[in-house]
Amino acid sequence: MTEPQLAPPRRYAPYDRAGGFDRSLGHPARRDLPFFAARMRELDAAEAFPTEAVARLDALGLPAQYVPARHGGTLDSYEDLLQLVRVVARRDLTVAIAHTKTYLGAVSTWVGGTAEQAQELGARIASGAVVSWGLTERAHGSDLLSGELTATPVAGGYRLDGEKWLINNATRSDLVCVLARTSLAGGTRGYSLLLVDKALLADGSHTCLPAAKTHGIRGADISGIAFDGAVVPASALIGEEGEGIETVLRSLQITRTICASLSLGAGDHALRIATRFGLEHRLYGKRLIDLPQAHRALTEAYADLFAMEAVTLLASRGVHTLTEEMSVSSAAVKYLVPTTADELITGMGQFLGARSFLSEEFAHGLFAKLERDHRIVGIFDGNTLVNLNALINQFAALARGYRAGRTDAEGLAAAAMLDAQIPVFDPARLQLTSRTGNSVAASLPRAVAELRELVTSGEAPESLLTVAEKLLRISDTTHEQMAAHRPSPRDVPAAAFDLAHRYTLCSAAAACLQVWLRNRTTVAADTTATAGLWQDGLWAEAALCRLAERLTPGTLPEEGADGSAVLDRLMPLLVEQYDSGEMFSLLPFPLAEAAGSLAEEAS
Amino acid sequence: MATPAATPETTGAETTGVETTGVETIRTWLTERVAYFLDVRPQDIAADDLLVEIGLDSVYALTLCGDVEDEFGILVEATLAWDHPTIDALTAHIHSELAAR
Repeated sequence: MTEPQLAPPRRYAPYDRAGGFDRSLGHPARRDLPFFAARMRELDAAEAFPTEAVARLDALGLPAQYVPARHGGTLDSYEDLLQLVRVVARRDLTVAIAHTKTYLGAVSTWVGGTAEQAQELGARIASGAVVSWGLTERAHGSDLLSGELTATPVAGGYRLDGEKWLINNATRSDLVCVLARTSLAGGTRGYSLLLVDKALLADGSHTCLPAAKTHGIRGADISGIAFDGAVVPASALIGEEGEGIETVLRSLQITRTICASLSLGAGDHALRIATRFGLEHRLYGKRLIDLPQAHRALTEAYADLFAMEAVTLLASRGVHTLTEEMSVSSAAVKYLVPTTADELITGMGQFLGARSFLSEEFAHGLFAKLERDHRIVGIFDGNTLVNLNALINQFAALARGYRAGRTDAEGLAAAAMLDAQIPVFDPARLQLTSRTGNSVAASLPRAVAELRELVTSGEAPESLLTVAEKLLRISDTTHEQMAAHRPSPRDVPAAAFDLAHRYTLCSAAAACLQVWLRNRTTVAADTTATAGLWQDGLWAEAALCRLAERLTPGTLPEEGADGSAVLDRLMPLLVEQYDSGEMFSLLPFPLAEAAGSLAEEAS
Repeated sequence: MATPAATPETTGAETTGVETTGVETIRTWLTERVAYFLDVRPQDIAADDLLVEIGLDSVYALTLCGDVEDEFGILVEATLAWDHPTIDALTAHIHSELAAR
């Protein structure tokens, strides 16, 4: 090398790894590859499990990515894991949900098990074992404290009796992590987790229950398992007796965050199908995309996708840097991102019109499939009400933290600076409630002050500040209302759920500003592919306008902030990102579709 | 410290003194706090009632830890009310934590 030493371009490293992974899955239009899009739809119609695609993910080493490096796997960043799952999800949600279930089955062991148990499970997963997570029961749904499956101490271990139902991979799995009642009275200390190795159970002591007929993810193994005097060794117990509920709640903080990857993937897929249609379809002698209504539908979806991406980027890095706040952040993400994606998909369905209902004729029927498949994301792993309720319970602390401007400044900065190193994740830092509130939401007042200075120095446009200040006023009011909320033991009022919904939108606005402020001169400055999105805070302004619109519908024009103009400016960038085969994202992500011709062999 | 959801008479208790807060003070504060949440009178709550059985939701019980930390200036686990499920048990635990400071 004779070139002078230049600083290497700053990149968002997780995209390098996820991009390589995407390219090794190959072009989705190639008939000879397991992820051939039309084949996915056929399997769905036949309610058949996507065996080949799942096997391909195994062959590429995805299972080892579910195992923390300290336990022998390759998982050292949840941010990496989230981006890998997103790559799978944008191709097929059924495959993504079926495969990642092994992480859900294992997470309790990473969080609550001994090093020995984790090492052993890690080795099993790396060698291909499928793990499932048995929490829910037929009669009780997500009310875990009503679970009736019992684990009774017997000579040499525990005897399991009872059943778990609507369990992803209950039948396919080699191991099931089961939440069982270990005290007759039940209660928060009355349940324990046991990792059951099906192969070691005595003949006839367990039965897998037939798969349920489901609205979406029809090919997935959503079934159940019944135990009848099944004896497991004492070493199957994860953590101490009575720690089951606590370990589940701490584990869910991770899995709820990862769920956002499914929605981001589905959002990209839906917008991609709609964009293609808008570019190809002609109406009144024009491309559909050039008609104002169509134009608006696509740019709104694009802006919403950016807001969700910013929220998810912060949350996934926050797993490592703001771990103690995850009881709040994971609930907010798990509520807002799937809900927004459902709305985005519905909007794209309206854009596509009757075609969105076609199960074969249009885009292989993939749109209808993804719309069905995504519905489940808002339901599993804690549904929208469960997540909003988790926020409502912490309203007082969140409002106090906001008013005091209390943030974990170091953890927040490390989460927001996308090229910063993040520390190794420490599950011992997971807490059931957050002492520091939510650093992201509480950062908004300071971020708006910083933005004000940038406007003064000519580095940010006035229009971005206008919408940011509007959101700050809404956020202030929302937190005041949260402070005034009086907790009640039962029948949480509808107004509290609405308040929690608004809180997640305010927190999303804060996330957008953090991501823009902390990266506009670093990661974003070193790329030409997405430069237009970052220039003058374009994406941030568009995303904030959409959040403000959702918080106070229809008020933007009255205040002079022209939300529609900023959305219109997104269209050329949307088309460019689509045409160049990039994922819809704030940062460059060349997809397998762009990597070469259809004839090229996938590696 | 302003505790938005607190009843007026329970805010600003003396928490800075060297003296260990008395058992009765702790018990009275806890009883009032739980009564406020359940929207009942303090005298309706017995010190040996299982809190979950008189309506203290298991998830809301987690947030009690924040109130205890603010009031007494100690750090406690979020699962405080799971492991010490009555007013008496909570009082004993908080008292011993205060004494150990």
